[in-house]
Amino acid sequence: MEANQQIKTTAVKGTDTARLVRAMVKNIYQSAHEAKANGQKVAYMMVASQYDEILRAMDIVPLPTENYAGLCAAKRDMDRFLLKAEADGYSQVLCSYARIGLGFDSLRKELGHIPEGSPDGGMPVPDMMLGSSAVCDPRFKWFQATSRFLAAPTFGMDVVAPPPQADLNEVRDYYIKYQRDQLLGLIEFLEKQTGKKMDKERLWEAIRLGDKAWQIWYDIDRLRVAVPSPMPSQDHFSIMVAGHYYSGTQIAVDFYQKLYDEVKYKVDNKIGVIADEKYRILYGGGLPPWHTLWIFNYFESFGAVFVIENVYRGFDPVEVPSHVKDPVDYLAWRAFLRFTRYHEKARAHSGNPIVEKLLGLIDDYKIDGVVFHACRSCRATTIGQTHIKSELGKYTSIPMMQLVSDMVDLRDYSEAQWKAQISAFIEALEGREKG
Amino acid sequence: MPFAGIDIGSTMTKVVVVDDKEKMLASHIGPTGVEHRHLALKVMEDTIQKSGLQFENLNFIVATGYGRINVPFADKQITEITCHARGIRSLFPSVRIIIDIGGQDSKGIKLDAEGKVANFVMNDKCAAGTGRFLEVIAETLGINLVDMGEIALKANGFVQISNMCTVFAEHEVTSRLSEGAGVAEIVAGLHEAIAGRVVNMTRHLGIEKDVVVTGGGAKNVGLIKAIAGKVGFPVLTPPEPFITGALGAALVGKDFYDRGVRPAHERKREEVKFFS
Repeated sequence: MEANQQIKTTAVKGTDTARLVRAMVKNIYQSAHEAKANGQKVAYMMVASQYDEILRAMDIVPLPTENYAGLCAAKRDMDRFLLKAEADGYSQVLCSYARIGLGFDSLRKELGHIPEGSPDGGMPVPDMMLGSSAVCDPRFKWFQATSRFLAAPTFGMDVVAPPPQADLNEVRDYYIKYQRDQLLGLIEFLEKQTGKKMDKERLWEAIRLGDKAWQIWYDIDRLRVAVPSPMPSQDHFSIMVAGHYYSGTQIAVDFYQKLYDEVKYKVDNKIGVIADEKYRILYGGGLPPWHTLWIFNYFESFGAVFVIENVYRGFDPVEVPSHVKDPVDYLAWRAFLRFTRYHEKARAHSGNPIVEKLLGLIDDYKIDGVVFHACRSCRATTIGQTHIKSELGKYTSIPMMQLVSDMVDLRDYSEAQWKAQISAFIEALEGREKG
Repeated sequence: MPFAGIDIGSTMTKVVVVDDKEKMLASHIGPTGVEHRHLALKVMEDTIQKSGLQFENLNFIVATGYGRINVPFADKQITEITCHARGIRSLFPSVRIIIDIGGQDSKGIKLDAEGKVANFVMNDKCAAGTGRFLEVIAETLGINLVDMGEIALKANGFVQISNMCTVFAEHEVTSRLSEGAGVAEIVAGLHEAIAGRVVNMTRHLGIEKDVVVTGGGAKNVGLIKAIAGKVGFPVLTPPEPFITGALGAALVGKDFYDRGVRPAHERKREEVKFFS
């Protein structure tokens, strides 16, 4: 009896609005099932691939496979999918998001139906799979691997960004043209799959909604500079669902407006996440530990609140030049400007855009300490993390700590060791406080 | 004005009593192993007896080590990181990097110029780089753990041990033996492998002089030689590496007391419940 009870993994939220996200997550998968039943097209997609608004403009229902992996971990129902992928021959060092996705798809095919009791009803068979090179290579290769046993057409879109040392004036046109060509290739693929031409006016409307939602999201994060913190990082890891999985919809705009109002109220009335905020922590990087999000509340029990984070954030607002009149051109320009947001600052200072971003957050948010999360199977967010941490140490003397586990694979997590490290980190913060 | 620190590690419990001049009055080490875990109170009482004091005389008691939680007779629990830093700094004021090689884990600690913990790293949930690794291999080789350091010093070079997983390293050692490699060279290779792992981990902090190695690993002369080789300069070791955590705990207790902190609750002279 006891063994069947789900272990609590989630964190207590700081805002009421964040509690609405659970229903939004359920709706993602429910909508996909309903769309399939109604003959609407459903696409596996990757977060932050810069193509979200195109899917909305073409009435394609997005099915975020990475989010599903996180959901399985939060429900502590990931092992059967991870083990299936590994039994199929996928290495344990491969991205665990991908392993859950590959394992789920493989198990569904083997059973001939969605595995029983899958979180939120599971994912239906998609009509197409849209990979992307933004962030990392598994997001490009994952669906190619899935297509070996799942009969759904696959498109991999390249998403590019110049290195920080590049002269942006020199490379800008090349990057934007290449990105535009990639987007046009995707649109051609989608038109073929749906049998419909993309309506540029509808794309403009989705872009308008997408930009509006992300602007409000950015404004919320700016409110979070307040002391005491009105909204903690555990809320961020919920509320990002609107920006990343409902981008280009009125739902996301309305959600963020509601959240903005609540956070503003808390700031105006000095209502903090906890009654006695002693330490303000920056989540410096690495995917969140979806399997153990209550760890944020554990920090809070020592008076330490995660006030801001550097992962799954909305991109800072960018200004696309007014001469850009075509929506696809706009998306290419916007992607370029988003990815190069901290390049000039980096060239003038540390040489590293992430270090620049973190230094800005440390200053703006009055940060007392930084915690990184190294995920064994996420090369994109973990390789270079130690380097970033030591580079950061050249410009700030605040305590920093790197916890190690994985975003979804519990086998890489040790609760005893985390608690020991957290205790030592809190003592370092206390030692600093005493002067 | 005496203060006590108790360090309950995975294999041993260590207690140190100091006076208000930070002079060590007594120390004692007892086993922590599965069947001895409840004996932490006895180690404490034996040490107090050695110092000629009474339990009631102690102004502050700090517990540290992995068994520090729920020590009924301690006034405060503090991590080994902070305690080692305080203890080692009292012995070596110039220390900037501490490498603690314990039975169950290993740690790197960086201190700032004032002796505060500036940063730290701990090994993964893995026996590699810990005393347990050497213990398992000593058993495989049929030699005493305490002799391993001396044996390594007699080696003519070393055999490369590439596998740091304890289980696989055991297999690797067995196959090296069957290939005809000498025991001394294998032991030296094991020390090279552990030193490589802990020094590499500590490099995340930026290694600078002085480096002090403590914990059970510091008793192993072969390992110290290998660590110095990796670091590139001689490293220091405390006269009694087992007790630096307990010493630090006692001194942290004194620091609390000096700042006006007093025991918040009544001490219970009961066995450590955490392990029961």
